[in-house]
Amino acid sequence: MTLETLQIAHATALAAAGRLRLPLRSKVWRGQAGEFSGGGTGSSLDFQDHRGYVPGDDPRHINWQAYARTGQYTMKLFREEVRPVVDLILDASESMFFDPVKARRSAELFYLISESCQSVGASITIHALRGDASVTLDPAAIRTHRWLETIRALPAADPAQAPDFSRLPLRANAIRVLLSDLLFAGDPDPILKFLGQRQGTVVIFSPFLETEAHPKWAGNYEFIDPERSTRHPHRIEPATLKRYLEAYVNHFSLWKQHCRRHQTAFTRIPAEEDLSTALFREAVPAGALEGG
Amino acid sequence: MPVFANPLGLLALLGIPAVLAIHFLQRKAVELPVSTLFLLERTQRDAASGRRFDRLIPSIPLWMQLLAVLLLAWFLAEPRYQKSGSVQRVAVVVDSSASMQVFKTEAVARLTQAIPGLQGEAEQLEITLLESAPRRPRIYAGSSVVEMIAALTAWQPREGLVDPTSALRLARSLVSREGTVVYLTDTPQDAVPFDAKLLAVGEAIENVGFTGVSFSNVEGTLVWRAMVRNYSDKPASRSWSLQSSAGNTEPRPVTIEPGGLITIQAAFPKNAKNVRAVLTADRFTLDDTLPMVAPAPKPLKLFTATSQAFGDLSAKLLRALDSAEPSQDAASADLSLVTYDPLDPQLPPGNSVVFVEDSTQSGAYLKGGIVAEPHPLMDGLNWQSLLVRETLELQRLPSDEVLLWQAKRPLIFLRRTAATETAPPTQQLCFNFDLRLSNAANQPAFIVCLHRFAESIREAKVAPQSLNLETGQPIEIATAPQPPVKSEALDLSGKPMNSADFGQSGAAPLTPGFLTLRQGEAALLTSAVYFADTREADFSACSTTDTLGTASAAVLERHTQPDPWWRVWILLLLAFLLVAWKYTAPSDAAPRAMEPTR
Repeated sequence: MTLETLQIAHATALAAAGRLRLPLRSKVWRGQAGEFSGGGTGSSLDFQDHRGYVPGDDPRHINWQAYARTGQYTMKLFREEVRPVVDLILDASESMFFDPVKARRSAELFYLISESCQSVGASITIHALRGDASVTLDPAAIRTHRWLETIRALPAADPAQAPDFSRLPLRANAIRVLLSDLLFAGDPDPILKFLGQRQGTVVIFSPFLETEAHPKWAGNYEFIDPERSTRHPHRIEPATLKRYLEAYVNHFSLWKQHCRRHQTAFTRIPAEEDLSTALFREAVPAGALEGG
Repeated sequence: MPVFANPLGLLALLGIPAVLAIHFLQRKAVELPVSTLFLLERTQRDAASGRRFDRLIPSIPLWMQLLAVLLLAWFLAEPRYQKSGSVQRVAVVVDSSASMQVFKTEAVARLTQAIPGLQGEAEQLEITLLESAPRRPRIYAGSSVVEMIAALTAWQPREGLVDPTSALRLARSLVSREGTVVYLTDTPQDAVPFDAKLLAVGEAIENVGFTGVSFSNVEGTLVWRAMVRNYSDKPASRSWSLQSSAGNTEPRPVTIEPGGLITIQAAFPKNAKNVRAVLTADRFTLDDTLPMVAPAPKPLKLFTATSQAFGDLSAKLLRALDSAEPSQDAASADLSLVTYDPLDPQLPPGNSVVFVEDSTQSGAYLKGGIVAEPHPLMDGLNWQSLLVRETLELQRLPSDEVLLWQAKRPLIFLRRTAATETAPPTQQLCFNFDLRLSNAANQPAFIVCLHRFAESIREAKVAPQSLNLETGQPIEIATAPQPPVKSEALDLSGKPMNSADFGQSGAAPLTPGFLTLRQGEAALLTSAVYFADTREADFSACSTTDTLGTASAAVLERHTQPDPWWRVWILLLLAFLLVAWKYTAPSDAAPRAMEPTR
């Protein structure tokens, strides 16, 4: 992808981010001060409750009018305001970027999520994964579009193997957004368990190509594995294509099933459609995004 | 097993490698990056690994196309199945000529090989083996190939050059138009009549052999001279020796130029039996041995009862005739020379030549055309220069057979006397003019006529004689009415031959050897029989030819029936093609090889 393509994708994502955002308000947050209501009491202007004074309480929050009326020290409690915490995990495997259409859609989603977080002041950490290799990206690199070079240079022992999430330093009580086409073999359950640990909320965006979902193969092919650049001769008969389609559907049905079990928002975004149209049709109903 | 009426249709099987090649080439045609390879390989693990050919196994259109090609080849080859009870008749005319002896083994082998092809698809085979020589019994007739081979192996070709036309005509009539006629020979022919097929098994081999023998008296010694010929186109070296019951001579080497003739000669051994000139043997052995006997024609006793005027003529005739001896006894003489005396017109009994003696003054020359009647004695003789004066005439009987006329006057006539109980039949050659008053003595026709008459008398005489005969040569021998004549044939080594080897009745045996014909105790004929047919001994024209070919379409159709399932095969073929088309036709919705949408 060229810089110009990335800039266009960024602009598209910004436009979409004006109408859609991550579902940060649906979560009870704890942590640093920010713009979102926390789960506990804080120092915001929003009154929450009264309770009796106990030693150690901040004397600035003693309700002196109530003390005047009752002679009891009563404390005024206010709602806490915290910053949301978002861990964006980007699948940097070659399958995300081997096709220009899919690469652009992946970049758009990446920009959308990051810009959506930054617009609400969320604390975002971006991890890029490629096989067993990972890197944490500087959010500032997003605006400069250098992130792509960084993740494409990731040295993986076997780029075709499933991403190794276990090495990621995920933060507690964070929204974990996984941006991946999920085109790797493996059981989704351990991945979702790992991503959801420590009160994490998981949202999965999965871009896909129509040619992956409904290919029209017939005859003999030299399939090229984009991960390893190896060639695989296949003869595709109607029966073979039928089995492939079944396997494709089963693969994502399995992910969807496990996501439902782990209360994970899972959405598949087609790469060929307009971004906003695809997001409104797929991501919003799935709870992965919410309207502004 | 089916037979293919059109074997060229099997060339359609070449479509199988073509289909395979197309599928292999098709496999290389499309290169496509795919990110979901792990899903594809999970579903297609068996086809994605292993040999290249194995990956074609699951291809339905490939199998449909291969089956379609197989059915197409089957259909084009026109399979046919044997009819029950079908019979193919084959008549083989075998060349009876003696040169086939050399190639008989090869002929048996080639015919044995050819029999299955001749039978074709018929359920049964009827074979008839005929000799090319006419009026010979069949060698074999039946349906057993083994017995046919045994009969052919036991058979011996001994004839000279034989025209096979009549035998081929007979063979064609035996097998009718649908049957097969084969002419088995060693010398190919340009065209074989009666739609016969030619199977020639000869080859141009080298041969040197005797071509004939003659005898002469040299200073009282009988000398034989034999001609030896080299038939090949290369010089040949041989040795020859004279073998007999008296012993063998030392072999003498001879070298004969290509196509050359040499003469070998030696004195005929006296009082020896089984005399043979023997050449070094080659593949054709019939002409390598020349049996001989000292020739001795029947003696002819000549009695002269003419006047002195005919003395010179009588002496000349006595000298000119072979084995003629003068006789003073008219009763025991075989031939008498007499003059006609008008005062004593009674002619003597027995065979005689009668001349008119006219002592009167000579008359005028006879006028009128000279016409010879058709008769063996007159055959080919020219009498037109004969000049005869008018003389007195013989008393002619109505039964006399006039041989020569001048105008209405008979000049020569033949008088026959029938046999009686005590006397054999006789004939008298009467010259109805005075020889002295004509130029007859200077006429070749007159001399020849006299010789012919004398020889006819000699032939009719029952007496011993010795002759050297060629194989199969007709034998004409005068015999007494009783007792019956018995033959005794010996082969070259002096052993008696089977009666089957005696040859045709009235002819010399077909196998070289010695033949004696006896009537009672008297040996009427002592002969040596030798092979000297130069046409058979010359192998330069022999070669190998085979026009048997395969069974014709008509024969195939007669003995077979078409595949009863051919309609089913056509429907199946169409079904296979439709299925293959369904799987291979590109869909309307997308191109055949899906490229990513950009």
